[in-house]
Amino acid sequence: MTAKKATGTPGSYGSGERGTFSRREFITGLGGLGAGAILGGLFIKSIFLPDQVFAVPASGGYLLVDTKKCSGCTSCMLACSLTHHGESNHSLSRIQITQDSFGKFPDDITISQCRQCPYPACVAACPTGAMHADAKTGVRTVDVSKCIGCERCVNACPFTPSRALWNFEEKHAQKCDLCEGAKYWNEVGGPEGKRACEEVCSMHAISFTKVLPDQSATGYEIDLRAGTPWDSYGFAGAFKANGR
Amino acid sequence: MSAKLLFDSATWVVWLAPFAGILAAGVTRRQDPRIEGDRVLRHDAAARVEHWTHGIATAVLLISGISLGVLFFPALLGAGVPIWTAMNVHFVAVVVFLFGTFYYGANTMLALKRLKEHLPTGDAVEYTKRHYGLLLGFKKFTMPPERKYFESEKMAFIMAAAATVTIIATGMLKVAAHSMGVPGGLMAIVTPAHDIATLVMVAFILPHIFFAAILPSSWPIFRSMFTGHVSLDYAKHEHAGWLAELEQADDQDQADGETPTSAPKRAA
Repeated sequence: MTAKKATGTPGSYGSGERGTFSRREFITGLGGLGAGAILGGLFIKSIFLPDQVFAVPASGGYLLVDTKKCSGCTSCMLACSLTHHGESNHSLSRIQITQDSFGKFPDDITISQCRQCPYPACVAACPTGAMHADAKTGVRTVDVSKCIGCERCVNACPFTPSRALWNFEEKHAQKCDLCEGAKYWNEVGGPEGKRACEEVCSMHAISFTKVLPDQSATGYEIDLRAGTPWDSYGFAGAFKANGR
Repeated sequence: MSAKLLFDSATWVVWLAPFAGILAAGVTRRQDPRIEGDRVLRHDAAARVEHWTHGIATAVLLISGISLGVLFFPALLGAGVPIWTAMNVHFVAVVVFLFGTFYYGANTMLALKRLKEHLPTGDAVEYTKRHYGLLLGFKKFTMPPERKYFESEKMAFIMAAAATVTIIATGMLKVAAHSMGVPGGLMAIVTPAHDIATLVMVAFILPHIFFAAILPSSWPIFRSMFTGHVSLDYAKHEHAGWLAELEQADDQDQADGETPTSAPKRAA
């Protein structure tokens, strides 16, 4: 089609002049072409293109915990919040300590840390790619600028409490990034650096490994008491061997 | 438990809506305003479709969008189903909004005089002060012969158009993020820009609803957004300049041998 002239006057509509088209013909053609391209593309995509395969690299590291060794001081939570947000706020921490008032020592405390899952349901659920695996380290983390606040990641996490959390102050999802994005900390974080929770834990109940732990209920729960006076306490339920 | 987000599963509908609006405009036959006995055709069917698709969708978008949280205002909804429901409502409103807005835009492209009718003149500021002063009762004088749209409406049109363009441009990028990798740095600009334009739209639509629908003196024009017509008396009183233009056009048509009241004129 050769656009020699485009006019908007009523008289030009449907003039049928060879080699020209009116403004109305242009508008109609643009609308029809655009709608046709989208519907056609959708058809082609549904027929000819394969479904996308979801695959993410493994994380470069994993937090391990010994909940029996935890004293429940929540220093790790405060450190997490402080290094990531510049304030000490339990509600902003990505690692969560919960205490059962009716539980018996040493099974009354639970540490809920992100597992950096091999199949990260939070990443799979994110509609915009905000929740993603870092290209360099594989750590599952959030690009807050892309987060639309749907909280699908929070609901997708298979663990309770969810390891993907909602930052109620800044209104975006967040999760443990192994301190890669701890901007209020003057240490290098991430798999190759330090983790604030691990650093501040006075009971040494948090550890770190680059080896993928077993994906069992206790796969990330290890005995960090071996070789310490704990061995002699003989609490019921104490680990007999390294649980890794 | 999770849910299907329409922004995620039906993204293509958002891309289709603008072209559907443009295509609809291409096959629409508009009618110019004209005097019909003791009444005046002010809004033809296309104008009413433009207005209500854009207007209702805007209202739904504002309610659902603000419920999801805007700028530093916290979200009004709890996690899970309430958030997903609001997002899906937002999606439906986006589709209607895009259709209505592009339908208007394409219709305007087909008859640029409709755009000129909306653009403020040099009298805009002074007329606007007088207009609202008169409406609110703290000024008393006779309004100058206004044309089809009050100068105050023309000023508001610029504000609404700027907000609409910003909302669409940023909104499209937000939708694009569902199907392609939009850089985080760009999204960091897009999201607050979308939110600021939302607040501008709120600043437009609330006075618009008050002055165009709630204030009793605006009821004739509000009614015409459903029926298409205003009374001749109303047109004489409120839009004398516009009526004079229509009479002049009628005279011209009669001089050309046309019968305007029985044969609708095509605008483009």
